[in-house]
Amino acid sequence: MVVRVTTGRALLAATLGLGLAAGVQAADSPDIGPLPQLEIDKAKAELGKRLFFDKRLSGDAAISCADCHVPAKGYASEKALSPGYPGNGHFRNASSLVNVAHRKVWNWDGRIGTNLNDMTREMLTEDYIMNMDMRVMQERVKQDPVYVKMFKDAGYGEPSNGSVRKAIPEYMKTLTSKGSPFDAGKMSDSANKGMALFKGKAGCVQCHNGSMMTDGKPHNTGVPENFDVFMDPMNHQAFIAFTMFQGIPNYMNLKRDPGYYNITLMKEDMGKFITPSLRELKYSSPYMHNGMIATLADVVEFYNNGGGKDSNKSDKLKPLGLNDQEKKDLVAFLEALSGDELTGPEHVWDKPFPAKYEAIENWTQVRN
Amino acid sequence: MSVNKIAPTLVAAAVATVLAAGSVQAANEASAAGTAKAAPPALAPLGEAPIPPDNKSTPDKVELGKMLFFDPRVGGDASTGCSTCHEPDQGWAWAEDFSRGYPGTVHWRNSQSIINSAYFPRQFWAGSASSNEKQAKAAAKGGVAGNGEDDIMEARMAVIPEYRERFKKVFGTEWPLIDDVWLAISAFERTMNTTGKYEVPLDKYLKGDKSALDEQQVRGMALFNGKAGCINCHNGSLATDLDYHNIGIPPNKRWEEDGLAQVTFRFEQYAKGQTEEGYRAAKSDWGFYYRSKNKWDRGKFRTAPLRYIEYTAPYMHNGVFYTLEEVVDFYNAGGVDEEGRTTLFPENKSKLIKPLGLSDEEKEDLVAFLGAFSGPEITMEKPKQPPYAPLFTKAELEAAQEEK
Repeated sequence: MVVRVTTGRALLAATLGLGLAAGVQAADSPDIGPLPQLEIDKAKAELGKRLFFDKRLSGDAAISCADCHVPAKGYASEKALSPGYPGNGHFRNASSLVNVAHRKVWNWDGRIGTNLNDMTREMLTEDYIMNMDMRVMQERVKQDPVYVKMFKDAGYGEPSNGSVRKAIPEYMKTLTSKGSPFDAGKMSDSANKGMALFKGKAGCVQCHNGSMMTDGKPHNTGVPENFDVFMDPMNHQAFIAFTMFQGIPNYMNLKRDPGYYNITLMKEDMGKFITPSLRELKYSSPYMHNGMIATLADVVEFYNNGGGKDSNKSDKLKPLGLNDQEKKDLVAFLEALSGDELTGPEHVWDKPFPAKYEAIENWTQVRN
Repeated sequence: MSVNKIAPTLVAAAVATVLAAGSVQAANEASAAGTAKAAPPALAPLGEAPIPPDNKSTPDKVELGKMLFFDPRVGGDASTGCSTCHEPDQGWAWAEDFSRGYPGTVHWRNSQSIINSAYFPRQFWAGSASSNEKQAKAAAKGGVAGNGEDDIMEARMAVIPEYRERFKKVFGTEWPLIDDVWLAISAFERTMNTTGKYEVPLDKYLKGDKSALDEQQVRGMALFNGKAGCINCHNGSLATDLDYHNIGIPPNKRWEEDGLAQVTFRFEQYAKGQTEEGYRAAKSDWGFYYRSKNKWDRGKFRTAPLRYIEYTAPYMHNGVFYTLEEVVDFYNAGGVDEEGRTTLFPENKSKLIKPLGLSDEEKEDLVAFLGAFSGPEITMEKPKQPPYAPLFTKAELEAAQEEK
């Protein structure tokens, strides 16, 4: 869209580069643990919630954020590949938004390394995602008296693009895991054994560490390509548009998702993706950047085999030699990282949206 | 020529020059050279549509342009193409006051016909695009029009095998390029003119076929050129001086009643680079002001061409008049509608617009003459949309997977 600004490739690469260097120096991975508390402004979050579920925030007013980030699916996409904007498909699986405010880097390829405000702008304005001209969006929002009041009550004053980009991230802070057996210290024996494997024999903690169970860094695990990206022209056109806009060389002939290569254009980064969080996996299947793995048992099997096939594959991955019971224990642990569903009215805007835009009364006499 | 009876002798020579050359260029030069007191160039037959040297026409390009003109994938959500707002059955325009706009929006100006668009050096009501090519691009991308982005539209072309083939043949590129889309569409548009079998009665008459107009229309022409003063702006071979005037059009009342139209109204103030105060205060379309930023240009719009108007109702930049009778009444009243409404910038209203004192019969004659600007309706069977198809085979993808 007209107002989009892309994060500087070099700047982001530098930021991540520093992160990588620090990670390598650390002898031990940061331990997994509970998430820190976030301070939430209630009025702003409430406004963000309404915006998140409002289809008027997409170009043709046909989809909302929640169409790809489905509450019952842990705010991830139901299908292997996100539906994308009407008129095209998509080429990746929408990540879970639960705990998204705790992340430091966003998108599977890590192309946003600043904040959720930028991420919100990216999702709203990208042509294959929500294709929203934010100038139209601002005026739509201003036309709805409910929003006019909510923006005012939230301390934003008159509705504006900038406040939309602040309110949605405030809402996303409310999408934080709660009640997981792991956080509550109430894991089953099997899950506890799984955790030991996670930190030990299975080596998961090498990348899945810290309170989010992710190092926030790119790795190539050899996940096979999802051929639907290329065999379905609707998805492929979104992929082409994306790679064209990002300036990836030879994009018309690409037959694989370049991943983090997008950031560095270094061959060794081809096919790397940012380590996903492991929280709320119970809801967010299918897994991986392209939804190629359907169940957690399959994910464990994938890693037990040492990941997939790729010349760039991380040397951290090797066959694990887990027996059937160990695999089950590991799955039990992964499941214990999921908490309560965030599908109640405190998280989901369940009131109807107006079917049309009310006219402003006495229009000729009032200021715009 | 009847025009000689009313044209001051001062400009007779200029008029003669225009008629002899019969070209747009000559008419413009005459107009530019003329003083305020000089009479405008006379109406003249439409010549051949100019083809710009940087977009030469070929049958293959025109054919491709026609397919693209009708293809809704040249837009944001693949549901709006050029023809969505320039519908052949609606005069290659849109038969509502405001153009329909992108889904989820409504436009704020009347959709203009593409018929004869080839002749105009600038497009849009305020002349903001300097060619058909730039108009096509701007319309396909505008937030309340096509709302398409270059990359997704270009990507779509690449996964349509027939387009790949045709673009390669026409433009010689390996992959379709978005800028070539505008070239092809413009080449097609430049074939859509009221020439040949679509010639309008007035042009036949001006070329010497005196039977092309009936007596009432001839009387109407005399009024057009004389008492009614239409010729002051609607002159030359295009029936427009291509200049911008405030003729007193009142704001469309839909802005008072329609929330969706209010959304777009403010968006346009924002998008067109208004001042903060202008954004807050505007209650009508400021027209040419958005380009010049001069306050005396508020409410000015380009003089509309008149050929093919039988099919392009409603009229004016905001479509406030649905019939030519209403248009004539408006001018007869001196740029005031039947409710007494006029422009919000009366200080900018053209001095040429004043009560005309036309009788009912004269008004009818004038409307009858306006009918002579339209010939047969231009219709066309819409081309089939070429289908999408995968770019790669499964075997190619498997091979690539093996190579990883």
